[in-house]
Amino acid sequence: MENYLLAVAIIGLIYMLLTLGLNLQYGFTGLINFGHVGFFAVGAYTSALLGIQGLPLVIGFAAAMVTAALTAYPIGLLSLRLRVEYLAIVTLGFSEAIRLVIINEGWLTKGVQGITNIPTLNQASGLGISASLLTFILLILANGLAILGIRRLTKSPFGRVIEAIRDDEDAVRALGKDPGRFKVRVFMIGASLAGLAGAFYAHYIAYIVPDQFLPLLTFYIWVAMIMGGAGKVSGAVVGTGTLVLFLEGSRFLRDVVPWVSAVEMASVRLGVVGLALVLLMLYRPGGIMGDYTSR
Amino acid sequence: MLNSAYFLNLVVNGVVEGIIIALAALALTLVFGIARFPNAAAGDTMTLGAYAGFGAQSLLGGSIVLASIFAMAVTAAVSVFFYYTVFRKLARSSVAALIASIGIAFMLRSGITFFLGHDQRAFDIPIVRAVPIGPVRIVPSDLTLAAAALGALAVVFLVLYMTPLGRRMRAVADDQALARASGINAHRVMIMLWVLAGSVAGLAGTLLGIKTIITPEMGWDLLLPAFAAAILGGIGSPVGAVLGGLLLGVAQEVSTPFVGFTYKIGLGFVVLLLVLLIRPNGLLGRGEAVR
Repeated sequence: MENYLLAVAIIGLIYMLLTLGLNLQYGFTGLINFGHVGFFAVGAYTSALLGIQGLPLVIGFAAAMVTAALTAYPIGLLSLRLRVEYLAIVTLGFSEAIRLVIINEGWLTKGVQGITNIPTLNQASGLGISASLLTFILLILANGLAILGIRRLTKSPFGRVIEAIRDDEDAVRALGKDPGRFKVRVFMIGASLAGLAGAFYAHYIAYIVPDQFLPLLTFYIWVAMIMGGAGKVSGAVVGTGTLVLFLEGSRFLRDVVPWVSAVEMASVRLGVVGLALVLLMLYRPGGIMGDYTSR
Repeated sequence: MLNSAYFLNLVVNGVVEGIIIALAALALTLVFGIARFPNAAAGDTMTLGAYAGFGAQSLLGGSIVLASIFAMAVTAAVSVFFYYTVFRKLARSSVAALIASIGIAFMLRSGITFFLGHDQRAFDIPIVRAVPIGPVRIVPSDLTLAAAALGALAVVFLVLYMTPLGRRMRAVADDQALARASGINAHRVMIMLWVLAGSVAGLAGTLLGIKTIITPEMGWDLLLPAFAAAILGGIGSPVGAVLGGLLLGVAQEVSTPFVGFTYKIGLGFVVLLLVLLIRPNGLLGRGEAVR
C-alpha cells in the first residue's frame, strides 16, 4: 500500500513542477502555452540520453533544465509577435513537432521504441535507500525550492512587471519597460521547470517513449492549474493535488464498475478532462483558490 | 524517380488532399472570423462526421451520398448544441472559448472511443483503379470527392455572399459592435454560422474518411494543417481558406520526396510559423485589430 502511495505522490510531485512552470507562464504573465509537454519531453530525453551514457545524474538534470530553457527561447521570441490565440496554436504545434522529431530521429532517440534501462536515482547515487524514496525526497526538495523561488520572483519587481504584462501590456510599454525580455525569461523559467520534471520522470519510470508525451498531458496540467486557481502559487499546489486524486481515483473506479475495461477508462478520463475544462471555463474560471488573472 | 509525371501526380494528389484541408480551414476561418476564436473542436467534429457517416452507411446501407448528408446534419446539430450550451456564454473571452473548445474536442473524442473503440473503420466503397489521363493517373472516386467538396464550397459562398443572412454574417465578422448597433440579430447569425461551420467540418471528415481511413485521431491530426491553411490564406477570409488549403495540400505532397513521410505532417507547422512571422495577415486577410 505504501509503495502505491509513494508512487502516486511521486507522479503528483512531477505534475506539480509542471503546473508551477505553466502557472508562471499563464497565471502570472498571461502567456498561453499549449505545448508544455514539449519541454517535459526535451528534459526527459536529454537526461535519459546522458544518463545511459553513464554521466552523473546531476549533470543530466542540469542539462535537462538548460536544454528545455533553450528550446523555450525561440518560443519566447515568438510570443512577442503573436496574438494570444495564435501563440496557443503555435505552441500546440510545437509540442507535436518535438514529438515528430523524437520519433523520426531514431539514431538519437531510438524513435518509437524508446529508451530503456535509464538509471534510477539510487542506482546512480549508490545510497542504500530505495529509488522511490530517494526520488520522492528529491522531488519534495525540488518543488519546495521551485515554490520558494517563484514566490520570491513574483513578489519582486520582476513579478510586478509580468503581472502588469498580463493585465495591460501597453501600459507596461508606456512605462518604458520592454515586455519582450520578460516574456522570454518567463517562458524559459517555466520550461526549465518542465525540463526538470521530465528528468525526474525519466529516471523514475526508467523507460521513455514518444507516446508518453502527448498533448493530453499538457491539458491535464491546464486543468490542474485552472482548477487550483491560476495566478497563485498555492493554486498550483491545490490543483495538482486535485488532479492526482482524480487520475488515481479513476483507477479505483474500475473496481466499482468492473465492466469498464482499462481502455474504456482511458476514454472516460479524456472525456472528464474535457468536461472539466468546459465547466471550469463556464462556471468557475477562478478555480478553488481564486483567480488573480484578469479576463 | 523524380520525373515530371511523378511530380504531376503528386500535385494532383495534393489538390485532392488540399480540398479536404480547405473544407476544414473554411470551418475554422468562419468561426474565427465571426465568433472570433480558434475552434479547436473543429478537428474532432470532423471525426464525428466520419463516424456518423460510417454509422449511417453500416446501418442503412449503400449510399455514400446519403451517409454524407446524414453526417453533415449530425455535426451541424452538435455544433449548434455546443454553441447554445458553451460558446454563447463565453462570447466575451476568446481565450475561455478556445480552452472550452479543447475540452469539447476531448469530450467528442472520448465519446467516440468509448462507444466505438479505437479500431480503424473504412467506408464501404467499390475499389476503383486509377485512370491514366496523359501522364497523370487519376482515381475516379477522387474526382467525386473533389466535386462534393466544391459543391459544399459553392453552397457556403452562396449563403455568405448572396443571402441577407450571409451579409449579416459578414457584417458581424467585419465589425461586431457596429453590426449590433445596426440591429443585426447576433443570435440568428451565430446559429447559421455554427450550422455552416459544423456541416462543412462534417463533410470534411466524411471525405477524409472516404479517401483514407476512419480513426479516432483523424480530425485532431488535421487540425494543425487546417489552421495553417486558414492562416496562410488569411484568417477570416473564406476564399483565403480554400486557397490556403489547396496550396498546403500541394506543398505537403510535393515535399514528401524531399522530407519524408513523417515530416510531411510537420510541414503545416512550419508553414504556420512562417506565415505568422512574415505576413500574419496571410495572402488575403485584411488587417485586424490586435487584442
